[in-house]
Amino acid sequence: MKIALMGNPNVGKSTVFNALTGSNQQVGNWAGKTVERKSGLIQRANQEIELVDLPGTYSLTAYSQEEIITREYILREKPDVIMAMVDASNIERNLYLVLQILELAPRVVIGLNMMDLAQTAGITIQTAELALALKVPVVEIVAAKGKGIEEFLTEAIRVGTLKQDPLPGEVSYPEELEQRIQAMEDLLVDTPWATKYPLRWLALKRLERDPEIGQEWKTIPTKSRKSTDKDSCCDPGDAINYELQKTTVLPGEALLQAYEAEGWSKDHFEMAFADAKYKYISQILPKFRAHENPSKPTWTDLLDRWVLSPIWGYPIMFAVLAVVFWGSFVASAPIGGAVSQGMAWAANVVVRLLQWGRVPDFVQSLVRDGIFAGVGAVLAFVPQIAIFFAFFSFMQDSGYLARAAFLGDRFMQLMGLHGKSFFSLVSGFGCNVPGIMATRTLEDPKDRLITMLINPLIPCVPRLGVMSAVVAAFFPGSRGSVVMLSLLLLSMILVMFSALFFRRVVKQTERSAFVMELPLYHIPTLRNVLLPTWQKTYSFLRRAWTFILVASIVVWALSSYPQGVPMNATWAGKMGGWLSFIGGPLGFDWRIMVAIVFGFTAKETTLSTLGILYGVAADASQSIAQAMTGAMTPLRAYTFLVVYMLYIPCLASVVTTYKESGSLGWTSFGVAYNLILSFIMGWLVFHGGLALGFQ
Amino acid sequence: MERFLGDLKPGERACVEQIEGGGALRRRMMDMGIVPGVELEVVRRAPWGGPLQVRLKGYYLAMRRGECAKIKVSEIYQEQIEHPLASR
Repeated sequence: MKIALMGNPNVGKSTVFNALTGSNQQVGNWAGKTVERKSGLIQRANQEIELVDLPGTYSLTAYSQEEIITREYILREKPDVIMAMVDASNIERNLYLVLQILELAPRVVIGLNMMDLAQTAGITIQTAELALALKVPVVEIVAAKGKGIEEFLTEAIRVGTLKQDPLPGEVSYPEELEQRIQAMEDLLVDTPWATKYPLRWLALKRLERDPEIGQEWKTIPTKSRKSTDKDSCCDPGDAINYELQKTTVLPGEALLQAYEAEGWSKDHFEMAFADAKYKYISQILPKFRAHENPSKPTWTDLLDRWVLSPIWGYPIMFAVLAVVFWGSFVASAPIGGAVSQGMAWAANVVVRLLQWGRVPDFVQSLVRDGIFAGVGAVLAFVPQIAIFFAFFSFMQDSGYLARAAFLGDRFMQLMGLHGKSFFSLVSGFGCNVPGIMATRTLEDPKDRLITMLINPLIPCVPRLGVMSAVVAAFFPGSRGSVVMLSLLLLSMILVMFSALFFRRVVKQTERSAFVMELPLYHIPTLRNVLLPTWQKTYSFLRRAWTFILVASIVVWALSSYPQGVPMNATWAGKMGGWLSFIGGPLGFDWRIMVAIVFGFTAKETTLSTLGILYGVAADASQSIAQAMTGAMTPLRAYTFLVVYMLYIPCLASVVTTYKESGSLGWTSFGVAYNLILSFIMGWLVFHGGLALGFQ
Repeated sequence: MERFLGDLKPGERACVEQIEGGGALRRRMMDMGIVPGVELEVVRRAPWGGPLQVRLKGYYLAMRRGECAKIKVSEIYQEQIEHPLASR
């Protein structure tokens, strides 16, 4: 039996899904989409049930990725039952979606969640009356406490095993609309389409001139499609792909034209249907809902008075961000250090084993300096990412993230972006990988892509660390902070400029509206915070490890062959020499170019590479930076800082961009953009500086 | 006098009369419950021309001023205030 879980965003869907499937989940992406797909297998009453968590949507029209996925799933996969989650504290808008579901699929069970939240807001709902009004079974649940979830599923299974489709209540459309719907139904009733879809739904969609009806789709399992091309970096996505077979025009064209002449265009119909649904809801609402003291301020009102206040809102946001940053990027440092040490220890053990087995020296070096050192450098920042995601899930679930988007929207508007981009960009200062992954909250795919592409221009913590060491060495005293500020300012300006530039490059037919729900605050469950944290960290590791492993080996090979020669004679050193035609116009010598090339795997390694190249024995970043002062003028150092700040952050961020955008083209575009931009900015700074007489 | 949602002061309430413009914007508003006849309250405005926080039917939406300027509103009739349930 196939059961789909549906509902508005923030209704507690994932809590129910997690409770029912536990750890038995499959997380991937919907085929061809960048929306997460979660499914799980459960056993109940000798039945195997596939539970699919459909993305949270407000409606079943086909305008956002989430809506398209949800609709296509119901139309093409035809789940046996739909478990529709409804937020009791927000029942009117939630029922709008339920009415749309009922028109499309008769086997529906409603799970009424957040009754406790509704009660504190003075709302009481008579469950039996609601079930009677819609003629659909209703189960009360308190998802956060795990109450009613099992009953919800049991009821869904019962509905799924019914011999005949139940007859849910129908929306009563106003007379003039009803006549037109029935006229269309008469035309469609004898077509084969009427056997595939509910007649009423078919007529409504025909009146809206919906392109989906009339299309025949064939499902092709992904396995038959290029099974050899199983890239371990990429989730296989949905197991099912669709292929358009043929498109037929349904009858009723003449009728539609006649309606259009009367002023009933498809937009008009759409609006009228939506309006009728809302009217219908407000008609039946008094039967099951009572609202006492609607004007009494709720918890959310009281909190918002502070959190969204024009005076306190921003300090509170900075405090929250400070805690998140401190927790993820400062407090996690010992864990990251422990990971590095653990890797070093493991490397030693393995090398000793190899020595004992008399394995050739180059293999030992490959294992120690290549694999363990390279992979260890990346693993060391996995705790950062994990802790950051725990905070992120907490903020998203509690409702604070939407508030941060509300406060940050004004600044994002300057760049033509959405308020939700704000958080992704701010996260970039910690680490670009979670910053890029945080774009998942953006609904518009184009906004998402732009946010993803500009994120690497924001210097992350490791880059800031290297930069501040270099700045401190070249610009001692108060000049240092001015230089650092100027760099950050430059990055901000470029982020803004690039966002506006990408807006022109990325084709966007219709700008999405900024209409965002500010959900009621609630305390997320521990499971809802930890499970996504684990899933995101795991999927990052799974997709990145092959790349990181290969890159570590390549870097090791380049820098240690031919064996026994000084660094400048290795392949990597020669590469730096070849690349000096790029570095020349910027005043860089080959050593800087080598450091830049090597910085690609992980940028924090740049200083240690420079240390080796300048022959500094000490490992401390300060002494390496000091050694650089002998070889470079401050102007060259500043140029280096600009280029260093702007070119591709690291391998992991590129892999993440590829994974999140799902497009090799856009990933390459982003990489090329970063490289070209950093070169141009470096050139401008260097030659501008020379012209102004700086050294 | 024509009034738009963007003209309301924080704390003011009004009824949606009409949504100007079409396409994705209007559809999105419809999905979020902004349809003619619905009662809205502007809760607060974010500083420096930022978005508005709007309350309707017990939930909150954030909308940009540009979008609020497309929602034509009218005053709420007295009896609707007395019977908020019946009026949706």
